[in-house]
Amino acid sequence: MNKENFLKSLNNSLQRLPSSEREDILQDFREHFDIGINEGKSEEEISKALGSPQQIAREMVVTYRLEQVEETTSTGNVLRAVWAVIGLGFFNLIIVLAPFLALAGFVFSGWLAGVSFVAAPILFLVNIIIYPEVFAFFELFFSLFLSGVGIFLIIGMYYATRWLMKGFVKYLNFNVKMVKGGMKHA
Amino acid sequence: MNVQFKKGVLELCVLVLLDKQDRYGYELVQKISDQIAISEGSVYPLLRRLTKEGYFTTYLKESTEGPSRKYYALTDVGREYLHELLIEWKQFTEGVNQLIKEGVNDE
Repeated sequence: MNKENFLKSLNNSLQRLPSSEREDILQDFREHFDIGINEGKSEEEISKALGSPQQIAREMVVTYRLEQVEETTSTGNVLRAVWAVIGLGFFNLIIVLAPFLALAGFVFSGWLAGVSFVAAPILFLVNIIIYPEVFAFFELFFSLFLSGVGIFLIIGMYYATRWLMKGFVKYLNFNVKMVKGGMKHA
Repeated sequence: MNVQFKKGVLELCVLVLLDKQDRYGYELVQKISDQIAISEGSVYPLLRRLTKEGYFTTYLKESTEGPSRKYYALTDVGREYLHELLIEWKQFTEGVNQLIKEGVNDE
């Protein structure tokens, strides 16, 4: 692969980054090629030693996504960061995806339960409209009680979700550090 | 050697090389690949991450031959981090060396 093809392939794999960020990365590699060529190396030699542009791009994207998620912990940012870390390799697929799915399942079912509890009186009303002969006070009060529980559940889930997202981002950071970074936890 | 293991060591290598003087990316890559077999491209994501974490600052400097180069300079936080890593590295290698020594003696 010559310089132009390497840079083109790197650029293509970095499409998801903002253009200023991308240009900055490409500039570093342009510089790398230029110095190498000055020293008398061939473009092919240099790009072979650099390795796969796709792999380089993957690592760049992970750094960027984690930085984004540190700034704003939104659901979208967390999902994009998870996706980027998983892209790094099979090892990450297991140690990132499995806990992520477990947590996502917990969050989803918590919200679902909360929303359906709150909706219980509505369902009760629907039931009365369709079968007016089965009206029972117990069901009315029980549905109101569930609705109250549901409101607390939703408030609880709101805080639990935020807390879990923050915690998971910490886990992602730790994961990237362990795979690519220091011996801090070795 | 194991890729993930190497990547961990790479961070230490970069920090050590910048302890005494500022260097540009290409120079860092060459210094490391002279000693260890690495895929050279992986140094750049590392440099970028450590810069964002505040361990390096960068500046451009004209060179006598060819275009200007981006230099990396270790910050105080970076130097502190390097010393932490060095202590851990020493403990780690001493431990492994000890185990190797005992292992070889038993044979």
